[in-house]
Amino acid sequence: MAFSAQTEKYSGKMGTLTFGSGDQALTVGGQASMPFAAFDGDLPNKAVIAMEVYDVVNPEWPAAVVEPFKDVINDPVAWAKKNVEEYGAKAICLQLASTDPNGEDKDAAYAADLVSKMLAAISVPLIVWGSGAVEKDAEVLAKVCEVNEGKNLLIGPAVEENYKKIAAAALGYGHAVVSQSPIDVNMAKQMNILINNLGLPMDKIIMEPSTAALGYGVEYSYSVMERISLAALAQNDEKMQCPMINDLGKECWKAREVMLSDKEEPGFGPDQEKRGVLWEAMTAVDMLLAGSNLLIMRSPKAVKLVEECINELSA
Amino acid sequence: MSKQVITAGIRGANVVVDRVEGKINAAIAKFGADKEVKLPNTAYYLPVIYGITGMKVETLGDMLPVMEKCRQLLADVPVDNCWTPYLGPGLDSGMATLFAFDMEEALKYVEGSPYLDSKEDPEETDADIWLGAADDIILRKRGVEFVDGSAPGFAAVVGAASSPDAALAIAKELQEKSIYVFMASNNENGNCFSKQLVEAEAQVGWNTRLVPFGYDHSAAIHAVGFAVRAALTFGGQTPGDFKGVLKYIQDRVFAFILALGPVCDEQYAAACGCINFGVPVIADTDFPEVLPTGVCTYEHVVTNIPETEIVTKGIEVRGLKITIAKIDIPMSYGPAFEGERIKKDAMHVELGGPKSFGFEFAYSKPLDEVEDGKFTVVGPNIKDVEVGGLLPIGIWIELAGRKFQEDFEPILERQCHHLLNGAEGILHIGQRDIVWMRISKKAVEAGFTFEHFGTILHAKMHNEFGAIVDKVQVTIFTDPDKVKEHLEIARKTWVDRDNRLADMNDETTETFYSCSLCQSFAPTHVCVVTPERPGLCGAYNWLDCRASYEINEHGPNQPIAKGDPMDERLGKWKGVDEFVVPASGNAFESFAAYSILVDPMTSCGCFEAIAACLFAANGIMVVDRDYAGDTPCGMAFSTLAGSVGGGLQTPGFVGISKFYIGSKKFISAEGGIKRLCWLPKALKEASKDMIDARGAEVGVPNLYDMIATEENGTDEETIMAFLTEVGHPCLEMDQLMEMM
Repeated sequence: MAFSAQTEKYSGKMGTLTFGSGDQALTVGGQASMPFAAFDGDLPNKAVIAMEVYDVVNPEWPAAVVEPFKDVINDPVAWAKKNVEEYGAKAICLQLASTDPNGEDKDAAYAADLVSKMLAAISVPLIVWGSGAVEKDAEVLAKVCEVNEGKNLLIGPAVEENYKKIAAAALGYGHAVVSQSPIDVNMAKQMNILINNLGLPMDKIIMEPSTAALGYGVEYSYSVMERISLAALAQNDEKMQCPMINDLGKECWKAREVMLSDKEEPGFGPDQEKRGVLWEAMTAVDMLLAGSNLLIMRSPKAVKLVEECINELSA
Repeated sequence: MSKQVITAGIRGANVVVDRVEGKINAAIAKFGADKEVKLPNTAYYLPVIYGITGMKVETLGDMLPVMEKCRQLLADVPVDNCWTPYLGPGLDSGMATLFAFDMEEALKYVEGSPYLDSKEDPEETDADIWLGAADDIILRKRGVEFVDGSAPGFAAVVGAASSPDAALAIAKELQEKSIYVFMASNNENGNCFSKQLVEAEAQVGWNTRLVPFGYDHSAAIHAVGFAVRAALTFGGQTPGDFKGVLKYIQDRVFAFILALGPVCDEQYAAACGCINFGVPVIADTDFPEVLPTGVCTYEHVVTNIPETEIVTKGIEVRGLKITIAKIDIPMSYGPAFEGERIKKDAMHVELGGPKSFGFEFAYSKPLDEVEDGKFTVVGPNIKDVEVGGLLPIGIWIELAGRKFQEDFEPILERQCHHLLNGAEGILHIGQRDIVWMRISKKAVEAGFTFEHFGTILHAKMHNEFGAIVDKVQVTIFTDPDKVKEHLEIARKTWVDRDNRLADMNDETTETFYSCSLCQSFAPTHVCVVTPERPGLCGAYNWLDCRASYEINEHGPNQPIAKGDPMDERLGKWKGVDEFVVPASGNAFESFAAYSILVDPMTSCGCFEAIAACLFAANGIMVVDRDYAGDTPCGMAFSTLAGSVGGGLQTPGFVGISKFYIGSKKFISAEGGIKRLCWLPKALKEASKDMIDARGAEVGVPNLYDMIATEENGTDEETIMAFLTEVGHPCLEMDQLMEMM
């Protein structure tokens, strides 16, 4: 008797999200099985990596992530172009760090204008990420939406305290939203429901279940994401069928193991760059195995490694 | 219901439709049927007609079929001597009026617009103030505010106030609540609200949210057009799907009409049209009301409301929720201050507490007996107290809300602690009549007064409990006699409340509530909370869950219609099982509310205590989190918790709240309280009243003395000797082993 492999049948399917406009638009999600388990169900879209661009760089960044961008590090538009043209980025994530009220506190009009300039300069879809300051993000991202009407940006993170303003602006001006929740399945679902109730369709929402770096709680992110995937696939829970995104670059590149040189911590070994690259790549692969559809990453070397991994596992 | 209003409306509708038909015919005669008709810069044609019927009016000729539609909708004016149903025909005639107005306004644009097209604000150089239809850019920008809640709704003001100053007062009150004011139409003296505002030197325009659409009655259609376009743009409604459009506006665009001054037939007709959208009318003049609910959320037409109260009434009748962006106190406010301690030397005044007396009390009253945002201090205020002073305190909170229920009173009252503690410089301990507060010197220097307790409670209760609270009024008593007097009233109410909760039972309650708060770490765990079985964490009883659901219907507490009983002894209901299967991710098929042996409820990890079977003793032990020693079941609490928790059904063990021990349904399937044979000493002492009361009820008045503790033993053999000696009833009961 011939061997027949046991397969898992799922009643549900993850929804998709399309961001970017025209020919440049990218679609993620839509999987009908757990990650890379193509024998169980259809996996129509490979996970995508969006490369980060900061509008202001923290001076403490390790050399490994300054060196690749040193000629463009003060010019976010040029940086974005370099990511696309030189490092082959399939999408860009603009981190609006300078709008943080505890930092440079740049205003919404500046941010909206920067986004317009970046859109004009690059040929790939754009994610626009706030500084994480809840009230300021609402103001900044709403303006970004208004000024860049119809560009189908992916904007976020929208959290419980500011989702109304962000999601309403996305709805009014034709963009998609990142719904972020604090490592909690119920909250993830509730955020989807709340945003959906404002009128934004489910295929305009992507979940960020809060990302932790390797060694800093990655297992929590992993379990929550796995739970979300199972709820979407096995339980066919419609309100959980939004694809997932992980904002992991900034988490990895502040880890102690990445920041310290071997002089400061001899046990870590001399190759600080390799350590950082692997730290980010390992975290990224963990997220992929947990069901991530879209990764936000920083180091071009790490991006290359993870892309290879995605291709091999999808082959 | 008012036949008079509807009759006037139908009469007005006939006049409007006749007039507009004449105008259309005249325009066609002048310009030809192919003449283009459009409002400035919009993709929605004549928006009310397009949204409701799907008909695209692009030329004068396109108006003719719409006119036919109006004629179909238009009813005959009811006659006095014959009673026929009139609400339906009234609403239809109203809709015909709106279509006619939509066309009447569009005809103005054919002749050359009399309006300041696509402008947000009239400028000083403009000859007139009228803005006319909003274009799509304005619609989008302002519509976003309606979606995100920064504009809670709009008031369409028709007619004119008694004076410019009265108009200004109404407009200010609406502005303060961030509500848009859409103005159109005049009254019989030719007076209108917009002109009154300009006379009172108010700035009008979209930017001040005081929008003058136009002078004619027909210009009011631009308010309806705005709402309809919002439904199409933001609500994704399909043009022509009138049900969807009407429902979206009723549910999402919180609009109401303020009719100021005498109302004419045409205005009645437009009002009838607006009722279709769930938009109620509040008038300051006296004519018969249309009170029964049906189309609108609450009443349809409310009349004879004084100008000074008309805004509040409008908000109430429309069911509009107000949020308060900033808590107006001179100190900071936020969760960071909740844990703040105020030491003696940093303190300006101490309120209540062990050296004085104090209380806080919240109760509900009818809506018209509570004045929202009114804060009163009775007795000395902060400036009258020396540093280091001491005062009694009574915080008296009066609440009202359309959806408020008496059962929510204690839940809101309990919030005082967390809400007041959030303010920098306020320390709050205790609840009910054991309130103890301190106010810091720094807070007093910054300008704190006792009224600010009201400011905080008012803002936070609106923001966090807006779903159930519409009005909050707060009185602070510091006069000793007044505090005592009100404390007595509060105490009587507390006794009533406790009794009411004690009187509730599972048999007479049809709806239970789930709690899946803990699914974040125990994915298959579901609590089913009934009046007689509180959540195992002790933090959520049935009332809490119900209130939580009312406040957030998408939250972790969902109603469960318990359905037909399947086994009353075990506590199994059809509806509960049907709920549990999907809610546990298909992990469990059945829950028994009262059994420890057959399908017991799952335990997450938050249980206050664990009940476990002692098969040799034929009884049940309960151990709580605070007891670290050994127990007769062979496991300490921590070990037990590890094996019982995590969202599992573990026959023989169940996580419970301590309060559940005193419930009639405490493991009643296996014989209840009479099985209870071992408790940690501290828990036993703390539960004495419950055990005595329940023991007496089941015929074992000295049960308390028969329950073993760690002092009698921590292994089954030793306590068996004790139980036999005292003659514990569990020894004589059915064998637990056989009940599995």
